[in-house]
Amino acid sequence: MKKNIFYLVIGFVALALLAIFWYSVEFFTPFLFMISFLGGIVLIYLAYRGVDDFIEDERSAKITEKASLRTFQVFWVCFCAFSIMAVMNLLYMPRFSREFWVDRRSPPVPLEIMSLKTIGYVQLGLLCLMIFLYVGFRFYYARKYGDWETDEE
Amino acid sequence: MKNKIKVYRAIHDLTQEDLAKAIGVTRQTILAIEKGKYVPSLDLAFRVSRYFKVNIEEVFSYEDEVRTVDTD
Repeated sequence: MKKNIFYLVIGFVALALLAIFWYSVEFFTPFLFMISFLGGIVLIYLAYRGVDDFIEDERSAKITEKASLRTFQVFWVCFCAFSIMAVMNLLYMPRFSREFWVDRRSPPVPLEIMSLKTIGYVQLGLLCLMIFLYVGFRFYYARKYGDWETDEE
Repeated sequence: MKNKIKVYRAIHDLTQEDLAKAIGVTRQTILAIEKGKYVPSLDLAFRVSRYFKVNIEEVFSYEDEVRTVDTD
C-alpha cells in the first residue's frame, strides 16, 4: 500500500468515527462508539503495517519520541490539575467565603457542585488539547531536526 | 559534531537519495546530518563510514563547543 492511500484510510476512519459519534450521542449508544473507536485504531494500525514506502528511520523516530514525551509532560499536568479539582468538587470540599478573609469566624461555604457533564466536556477538551499539543510539538521538533531544510543539490 | 558526508558523496558521485537508500534512512535525514541539524547515532555513523569504506573519524569529528580566546 502506498503512503498516500494510508493517509486516505486515516481520513475515512476519522469521518466514519465522527458519524458514529454523532449516532451514539443521538441514540445514546456510547458503547457503540467505544467499540468503533477501538476498531478504528486497529484498522489504522493494520493499514500502517501494510504501507511499503514508509521509511521510519532514527531521526523520525526521535521526532516522534520527543513530541510524545513533551505532549505527555504537559498533558498530565493539565489533566491531573483539572481531575483533582473535579474530584474535590464532587466530594463536596468546602471553601472559604469571601467574608472569611475579613472575619475569620464566618463558616466555610460548600462549593457549587460542578456537573458531571461539565467535567466530561472539559476532559474531552483536554484530550483535544493533547492532539493539538502533539501536532505543535511534532512541527517544532521536525523543524529542529531539519525537516524543512532546503536542499543544496 | 562536524561531518564530511557531503565531501565523500561528491567523491563517490552520490546523491543524498542514493546514500539514504543505501544505508536505509530518508533523504531528509542525510540532509539534516550534513547541515548539522541532527547528530546521528553511533550505529548510523558507522553505517555511513562503512559505506564509504573509511574510518568513522574520517567522516565524523567532534568539535568542542567551548572556544578558547586568544589573550595576545
